[in-house]
Amino acid sequence: MTLDSRTPGGPLPGKWDRHRFESKLVNPANRRKFTVIIVGTGLAGASAASSLGELGYNVKSFCIHDSPRRAHSIAAQGGINAAKNYQNDGDSIQRLFHDTVKGGDYRSREANVYRLAQLSVNIIDQCVAQGVPFAREYGGLLDNRSFGGAQVSRTFYARGQTGQQLLLGAYQSMMRQVEKRSVSLFANREMLDLVVVSGQARGIICRNLITGEIERHAGHAVLLCTGGYGTAYYLSTNAVNSNVTAAWRAHKRGAFFANPCYTQIHPTCIPVSGTHQSKLTLMSESLRNDGRVWVPKKNGDKRPPQQIPEEDRDYYLERRYPSFGNLVPRDVASRNAKVVCDEGRGVGESGLAVYLDFGDAIKRLGEDVIRTRYGNLFDMYRKITDEDPYRSPMRIYPAIHYTMGGLWVDYNLMSTIAGLHVLGEANFSDHGANRLGASALMQGLADGYFVIPYTLANYLGGTAFPVVTTDHDAFRDASDTVQGRIDKLLNARGKETPRQLHRRLGQLLWDYVGMARNDAGLGKALAEISKLRDEFWQNVSVPGPANNLNKNLEYAGRVADYLEFAEVLTVDALHRTESCGGHFREESQTPDGEALRDDANFSYVAAWEFKGVTAKPELHKEPLDFEYVKPSQRSYK
Amino acid sequence: MSSFRRVFTSSVGTKLLIGLTGLALFAYLILHLAGNLLIFFGQETFNEYSHKLISNPLVVPVEIGLLLIFLLHVYKAIINWMGNQAARPVRYEKTEWAGHKSRKSVSSVTMIWTGLMTLLFVVVHLKQFRFGAWYEIGSPPIRDLYRTETELFTAPAWVAVYVLCVILVGFHLRHGISSAFQSIGADHPVYTKRLVVWGTAFAILIGGGFAIIPIWVYLTR
Amino acid sequence: MRITLKVWRQSGPAKAGTLVEYAADNVSADMSFLEMLDLVNEGLIARGEDPIAFDSDCREGICGACGFLIDGLPHGPVRGSTVCQLHMRSFSDGDTLVLEPWRAKAFPLVKDLVVDRSAFDRIIQAGGYTSINVGGARDANSILIGKDTVEQAMDSAACIACGACVAACKNASAALFTAAKITHLSLLPQGQVERYTRVVRMVDRHDDEGFGSCSNEGECEAVCPKEIPITNIARMNREYLKATLMRGR
Ligand SMILES: Cc1cc2nc3c(=O)[nH]c(=O)nc-3n(C[C@H](O)[C@H](O)[C@H](O)COP(=O)(O)OP(=O)(O)OC[C@H]3O[C@@H](n4cnc5c(N)ncnc54)[C@H](O)[C@@H]3O)c2cc1C
Ligand code: FES
Repeated sequence: MTLDSRTPGGPLPGKWDRHRFESKLVNPANRRKFTVIIVGTGLAGASAASSLGELGYNVKSFCIHDSPRRAHSIAAQGGINAAKNYQNDGDSIQRLFHDTVKGGDYRSREANVYRLAQLSVNIIDQCVAQGVPFAREYGGLLDNRSFGGAQVSRTFYARGQTGQQLLLGAYQSMMRQVEKRSVSLFANREMLDLVVVSGQARGIICRNLITGEIERHAGHAVLLCTGGYGTAYYLSTNAVNSNVTAAWRAHKRGAFFANPCYTQIHPTCIPVSGTHQSKLTLMSESLRNDGRVWVPKKNGDKRPPQQIPEEDRDYYLERRYPSFGNLVPRDVASRNAKVVCDEGRGVGESGLAVYLDFGDAIKRLGEDVIRTRYGNLFDMYRKITDEDPYRSPMRIYPAIHYTMGGLWVDYNLMSTIAGLHVLGEANFSDHGANRLGASALMQGLADGYFVIPYTLANYLGGTAFPVVTTDHDAFRDASDTVQGRIDKLLNARGKETPRQLHRRLGQLLWDYVGMARNDAGLGKALAEISKLRDEFWQNVSVPGPANNLNKNLEYAGRVADYLEFAEVLTVDALHRTESCGGHFREESQTPDGEALRDDANFSYVAAWEFKGVTAKPELHKEPLDFEYVKPSQRSYK
Repeated sequence: MSSFRRVFTSSVGTKLLIGLTGLALFAYLILHLAGNLLIFFGQETFNEYSHKLISNPLVVPVEIGLLLIFLLHVYKAIINWMGNQAARPVRYEKTEWAGHKSRKSVSSVTMIWTGLMTLLFVVVHLKQFRFGAWYEIGSPPIRDLYRTETELFTAPAWVAVYVLCVILVGFHLRHGISSAFQSIGADHPVYTKRLVVWGTAFAILIGGGFAIIPIWVYLTR
Repeated sequence: MRITLKVWRQSGPAKAGTLVEYAADNVSADMSFLEMLDLVNEGLIARGEDPIAFDSDCREGICGACGFLIDGLPHGPVRGSTVCQLHMRSFSDGDTLVLEPWRAKAFPLVKDLVVDRSAFDRIIQAGGYTSINVGGARDANSILIGKDTVEQAMDSAACIACGACVAACKNASAALFTAAKITHLSLLPQGQVERYTRVVRMVDRHDDEGFGSCSNEGECEAVCPKEIPITNIARMNREYLKATLMRGR
């Protein structure tokens, strides 16, 4: 099978316009005859539901939470990028495009990224019209900050709660459609299978998490907006219910999984404090605008930070990257933190942390300024660690945060299964091997508000649909599969809890498929994962009823999927012997320890086809051409 | 779109009405207290004042208005209370007051009871004064309300009842005044905080003011 | 440390519930309250018993999924935080804590500490938005908004819809939740067009869901993890009054 990205022809800036013009439309009167199933209500899902609802489609919206507003997009702190150039500092669509392709380490599709940069501008307009309270300047204009290493200020933010405000904007728009009955809401539902009929995605099977009932829902297209798979690593900045289940089950039905090894490790998280920990908390990247990262120069220097004089401190990012300093991209910052900790210079009890110091900024700007900029983050830090970051430096360490990989989609956001579209973090599309700060929110909303209304119409308008109801054999099969798996979990009656098994999987992935990967480690991980999977099915304990709220049962199902998914994640990491973006192969580095890409051999998207749980997935390649941004070695020196 | 009928039956509308009528009653109480305090200036001044009041042709319509406001306040408050009881059919095993900025107080949790006691009291009070013993004095004769009052308050039991009741009214006002302002939408960065203080001050003033009269009458007769 | 828990266990809405005692051993001060519950549940699961059901997701105080009463206080004794952000260092060795779900007619119990808060969604659905379709928005900077105004709107918009306000209110009123959204939108120019219809519709929906009215005690404000003040409720009342006067509703 060849992967056709269906990228429109013509010059880059005109591609999207041209594509919109060439796309088919659906007559307004016919739209309500099309049922669109949207799984997930994060930025991607909620924005898609609201915009498709407004257009008049019959939308069914599903989420695992008790309310659509709780999707994990709510937790995004820092901000959202847009090429508005409101600050007159040299930004443009061209520059945002360029930065994103470069930031992604030349592993993304140019046409997609360009479209994203174009649409970024409309997103801000839309969100402001919804009443999103973005930060303002005294004159009433929108404020911007520079974020994640960008040299222009293009990030819009609402305190440290940007994701919350954007999601509430989308959620509210969606609820408006619910009131108008163009969107029907199915909260507390977990999608457990995709129903494919004659090659078309025609429905889903989900479990009603409250009653335990297995439900069948039919439609003309399915949109997966189910977020990332960061919790495969157990500890991550993602929510505890985040999962790969929906994407994985779609993968098993034929959707290719692209670049799963591109995982992003965020440099500024609160370090792990013990085995009891259920998740890691992100400290927004914006902190690096004023905070300085350092460790002691001497190994094992256990003095409290205030007692370590200036000359004994190593501001290693400023030292190694004079032009970007503390603002180097996430992958670079994370890896450097690992390096200094591996050298034995890490701080804190575990030695797995570095300092993020606001001493200078407080001296320069005063505590009040720092408080208005970061007050809520400092409070959060204090609540968790019981330490006061105004007095002593924060301790931070990298943690799994975002997954660039995801289901493969073409320019229309359609996967390798006709009608199955994938939006937001769940797809692989725009960030290449590394995502820049503040661009996930942008992508989720671009996908939902501005891309899918056109590309879905094109699909619906140009496709013949045989009549399919939920009595169809494919629905029965899928629902039996789902039921079988649930029964198997309930009947395992072992001794280990899903959490224990998940924690072990997480540790394995973190150690071998984490910040630095090598051939031997990955091989070991592969062997261990399949052992762990066998152990899971023999020894998992899932007590409690099937016909009732049973969070442990839900959780067990997700862990089971992670145990399958982890293999393709590792296989992908093993096959890609170059370093790029979030994927660092120790075998492939420059003499001074920077990531070394291998464009000659790896300038492609790796899309994996499912061949069975124990079989090796099959690799398909989508070659990447760079017409406009010529790949070069990323340098932040 | 909901119908006009719901304006004052909705939760907010109900509270608006309770607040507005409450404030009107509060204003009335201030006037009433000011009038009553004239008793300290002796029989003549007090009776002259009360005569001016009751001989005014407007007094009956005003009284009826006041009664309607009062009844509306009571009616709405009872309906509201019942609705609120229904909003939590299953009670907690363990409850705690949140403290901090919360204004929850003995006064706020007993509003319905202090209110109902006040209702009872008002009935008795009207019967004893408005429709109570009618003595006349002077020529042309005017009502000697002073005598009605002093006679009643020679009985220590009645003094106790009145003192107790007006203290309950004070309690009602302690939460009621600031609450009414909040209900009708008064929020101001500075004044809102002061409202609570002023509300308490007025509650003490009114409760205390009314309480002094029977005690004073009792002690000086 | 060791904590004794008395947890409300109820397997379903129609079932009878009761407080059941559990011991949490080896609790570390750095654990969050929910991690302590995870630990208790691990023990239950390993023994093949049905674990305690409670809701949570982000575990950093923003999604609003978590919440129950600890010793009669929604989200426990620490001000301005959710149970997921509450750490065991706030308690002492040997404490006995009672855990109960939110209780309100409008929040029917689902299981143990989990209640159905979809009434909140329906309140938003009634009018908590600006009716702007995708596509027609004008340039974001063409709407000027003062810094103070936007900060104030943000204070209200920070609501996470956890339901603690309802749980704490003696009337199980959702006035604070409803008012926060009304305030957020009524402060901003974008919210003006539907300002009066919004407040009326949202208040009506609030009542239809079975929430009580506001007694202006402010328990909600005191327990709100985002410390949203009851001045929001005053504003809602005022908006409602204005809507009544200007529109005859
Ligand atoms: C702590 C944190 C901070 C971040 N900060 C930023 C930032 O500042 N800027 C930025 O650009 N990005 C940021 N990101 C990244 C960004 O928030 C996410 O990538 C983005 O919000 C993902 O949105 P989404 O709509 O794809 O998925 P999500 O918001 O994760 O939504 C997933 C949805 O799918 C549903 N779902 C999942 N599985 C199933 C299933 N099996 N069945 C049914 N429904 C299901 C869930 O209920 C949910 O509604 C941050 C991420 C984190 C974790
Ligand atoms: S779990 Fe999200 S707020 Fe507590």
